[in-house]
Amino acid sequence: MLLDYETLKFVWWLLIGVLLVGFAVMDGMDMGVGALLPFLGKTDAERRVIINTVGPHWDGNQVWFITAGGALFAAWPAVYAASFSGFYFAMLLVLFALFLRPVGFDYRSKLDASQWRNSWDWALMTGSVVPPLVFGIAFGNLLQGVPFHYDDIMRPWYEGSFFGLFNPFALLAGVVALSMFVLHGATFLQLRTETVIAERAARAVQISGLVFIATFALAGIWLAVGIDGYRIVEAPAPGAMPMPTAKTVEVAAGAWLENYSRYPLTLLAPLLGFGAAILAMLASRAGRAGWAFFASALVQAGVIFTAGLAMFPFVMPSSSQPNHSLTLWDATSSQLTLNVMLIAAAIFVPIIIGYTFWNFRKMWRVVTVEEIEAHSHSAY
Amino acid sequence: MMDPEFVELSRWQFAITALYHFIFVPLTLGLTWILVIMESVYVMTGKQVYKDMTRFWGKLFGINFALGVTTGLTMEFEFGTNWAYYSHYVGDVFGAPLAIEGLMAFFLESTFVGMFFLGWDRLSKRQHLAVTFLTALGTNLSALWILVANGWMQNPVGAEFNIDTMRMEMTSFAEVFFNPVAQVKFIHTASAGYVAASMFVAGISAYYLLKGRDLGFARRSMAVALGFGLASIFSVIVLGDESGYEVGDVQKVKLAAIEAEWHTEEPPAAFTLFGWPNDETMETEHAIKIPWLMGIIATRSIDEEVPGIHDLIKQAEHRIRTGIIAYRAMTAIRNGTADEEDHALFDMYKKDLGYALLLKQYTDKVVDATDEQIKLAARGTVPDVTLLFWTFRIMVFSGFTMLFLFVTGFVLMAQRRLERHRWLLRAFLYGIPLPWIAIETGWFVAEYGRQPWAIGEILPTFLATSSLTKEDLMISLAGFITFYTVLAIIEFYLMFKFARLGPSSLHTGRYHFERSGAPDLANAPAAPVKD
Amino acid sequence: MWYFTWILGVLLAISLGIINVMWLEHETCLDDETCEGRDD
Ligand code: HDD
Ligand code: HEM
Ligand code: HEM
Repeated sequence: MLLDYETLKFVWWLLIGVLLVGFAVMDGMDMGVGALLPFLGKTDAERRVIINTVGPHWDGNQVWFITAGGALFAAWPAVYAASFSGFYFAMLLVLFALFLRPVGFDYRSKLDASQWRNSWDWALMTGSVVPPLVFGIAFGNLLQGVPFHYDDIMRPWYEGSFFGLFNPFALLAGVVALSMFVLHGATFLQLRTETVIAERAARAVQISGLVFIATFALAGIWLAVGIDGYRIVEAPAPGAMPMPTAKTVEVAAGAWLENYSRYPLTLLAPLLGFGAAILAMLASRAGRAGWAFFASALVQAGVIFTAGLAMFPFVMPSSSQPNHSLTLWDATSSQLTLNVMLIAAAIFVPIIIGYTFWNFRKMWRVVTVEEIEAHSHSAY
Repeated sequence: MMDPEFVELSRWQFAITALYHFIFVPLTLGLTWILVIMESVYVMTGKQVYKDMTRFWGKLFGINFALGVTTGLTMEFEFGTNWAYYSHYVGDVFGAPLAIEGLMAFFLESTFVGMFFLGWDRLSKRQHLAVTFLTALGTNLSALWILVANGWMQNPVGAEFNIDTMRMEMTSFAEVFFNPVAQVKFIHTASAGYVAASMFVAGISAYYLLKGRDLGFARRSMAVALGFGLASIFSVIVLGDESGYEVGDVQKVKLAAIEAEWHTEEPPAAFTLFGWPNDETMETEHAIKIPWLMGIIATRSIDEEVPGIHDLIKQAEHRIRTGIIAYRAMTAIRNGTADEEDHALFDMYKKDLGYALLLKQYTDKVVDATDEQIKLAARGTVPDVTLLFWTFRIMVFSGFTMLFLFVTGFVLMAQRRLERHRWLLRAFLYGIPLPWIAIETGWFVAEYGRQPWAIGEILPTFLATSSLTKEDLMISLAGFITFYTVLAIIEFYLMFKFARLGPSSLHTGRYHFERSGAPDLANAPAAPVKD
Repeated sequence: MWYFTWILGVLLAISLGIINVMWLEHETCLDDETCEGRDD
């Protein structure tokens, strides 16, 4: 065995985090672009420019999302099972919204009718706005605890309702997620387009940046003063066999901030969120779109690790039966499976990053209206 | 206890979404290789027409691919949303191939598919061919991993029940990967995709030949499809036979149901070619039998028995009873009241634990099950024989029909006489649905024939569900049906439109609808193809 | 080892496709409507 069980579990917590960041950096970018599509593109040619900036990349980017789902299944099957069935309609909402994207990208420019194209533009926008909103809402609910428990054969039962998910704090988290994706999409558009579209994108960077900073700060304050955290009182050793119902957990005000006060270094995550957002706005204003894009990518990492570190080691706390909460120690797969998956990730992630770079390098250019008109039958 | 109607609805939803996903999957699996063939010839000969072929069939591939991705998204998350206990119970084993599929296959196909469509001007010829090849490889690897996962559901090797965590855990990744069921399933299913794509290209090319349009384009496409399809249909049939053998080995009930073998026969058993199975009386009426054949197919021998359904039900009943012993011991162990004997009993009978779980359909107290409940559960281990018997025969019949088409087509083309046999061209055109019929019935045989198990002999389907309500399922099912119907209409509309237009849709100016004064090629002085 | 068989099988099927069309290319006047009638 490569690593002992405890370390392995921790490594997988990091890896799931990395996959989520990968998802936000890659797919968040084209979702941001999609969200801005009908607003930054006024004419058909302008909209095609916007779509073609992500044309060769959106499908590969989406796989970060799919793989995050698959990795959750393999590494934390209990979380995969309890969260997706519990958040049933929220998941379906995400899926139905995501359906619109592959067809939208592929079919939109296959016919000339403006009614057809216009409808697909709005479909693409919906498919790009709903998922981040719901992800944010899901995270908002995780932070508040989710009402579920296990029965004697370890079947998870969810006791909440669909509309219960849409509480004020969760909605705020939804806006945080949406604005950080839009910020990221806007910096990318500024980088890959020119003239009017790039100017409009630069304006979108400022607006989404401000919304992000305000909502992220508000959510942080709310979390500190208004939301009870969870704390493990007693539990089997971290290296023990995963048994989610074998521990004692208490709910306590301010518990979500304990990691931050105990390990001040972790404060780097929220600082990264704020700092990088400010940097992205400044760089964008200075016309340094490449730096803006890089900074907005860091924003994604900052936010995701801020939430993850606050909850550590919890992954999915249970509000109705806190002892049944899922943590990174007891929601995991067996040691063998985690090891197999670690080897698979170690082999394939570098390869994936390699050919993704090649893809971006080969397809890199500033997309222009002239180019679209010259290739009107082969471009998206 | 689970509400049976709720379980039905969950199964309907999975069946509908999976069968729908698998309308698009086979074409992707095969068409990508056909594109590799066409583009290879382009790189070798430098003839423009092969690039046009790659791009035109690539366009149809793209229309199909979009829906393959869309419907695949549902599948990836459906285990969690709708089969939560399943995911919890077997995620340790089943999740790994799914995650590896993402890492190894989906990234590959999805990254390169974008370059396939948009990279013609930015890549050298060879680079673009490599991109096409990697797309094809990616789609096929994705089939590989998902079928490793699916093969494990049929034949769960390399895993063991862990009483502390109350779930199945992996004991050997190699055993899961080299599962014989997964291996034959993968080749049978992948080849089925190649056949589907070959019929698709051959059928549409036949249409152009019948119309007398774009002849050079159509003949070349036909030649590619016939060559690739001929090899593939042989592979499907050989591996279908091998699938039957594997099924006979590990899923005896399924095989007996496919063959409507109610009573164990003296070896070697006869094969029922046609007949009328009756699930009530448990007999097959008006059977036409071929002596010996079944015994040979299922056991590759003439002296091994193929057990009939009546005997299999008896075996199941026995295993339910021993399963109850294991269940009682397990409860004691988990309560901390177990003695040494309990541990010994559990170890001896834990392989039958799944059979005891079958009783949960009838009673919450498995250990107090009545004789009648045990008999009911044992009878329930046999799926509907009539349905399986017929769906299987539809698949096989389609297979042999296509074998005939590809062999005849290939031979006639080799003799350069294909176009004079217009009936054959028509058969190719109207035969396009055949592979899809075979594929969907094939999945039905494989998946419905697995019932009542979600994981063979380990986890019954009705237990595998999520803790949702009937209303939840009705709403989501209605949502899927509506959404999928709309998407299907759009897809079919575009597919027909571009297939009718043919290569003229590339706007190169070289093809039928763009050349004024057609009928074109007949009097054209030289080939209109420029290198 | 069926996985190995698959690798060989795909290569074979692809080759058959390539050979079949190249042969046709080589032997026949593909773009001519009366082409097929020529050899009899
Ligand atoms: C034998 C092949 C096969 C089978 C049984 C399945 N799939 Fe599939 N899937 C493919 C073969 C495939 C493919 C050929 O790779 C697709 C189809 C068209 C496409 O775009 O890729 C695909 C697409 C596809 C996608 C989108 C991938 C992307 O963005 O590139 C996902 C997430 C899934 N599938 C997931 C699943 C799951 C969870 C299945 C299990 C129920 C499943 N598929 C059955
Ligand atoms: C895409 C090709 C597939 C098709 C067309 C297909 C078809 C079906 C059908 C018809 C059913 C319903 C059986 C019934 O309840 O009577 C079913 C159930 C199911 N299938 Fe498949 N299947 C496919 C692939 C897979 C794969 C690859 C997996 C797993 C890796 C899988 C897992 C399941 C599960 C979990 C159920 C629900 C539980 C059950 O009814 O057993 N399927 N599928
Ligand atoms: C002609 C002879 C054929 C035979 C003897 C045959 C045999 C079989 C058998 C026994 C199964 C069930 C395997 C299981 O339950 O695990 C199966 C499944 C299947 N068949 Fe066929 N088949 C034939 C032709 C075809 C054709 C022509 C196609 C499509 C073009 C096809 C597509 C499928 C598919 C997609 C499945 C489900 C996946 C699987 O279980 O492998 N089959 N076939």
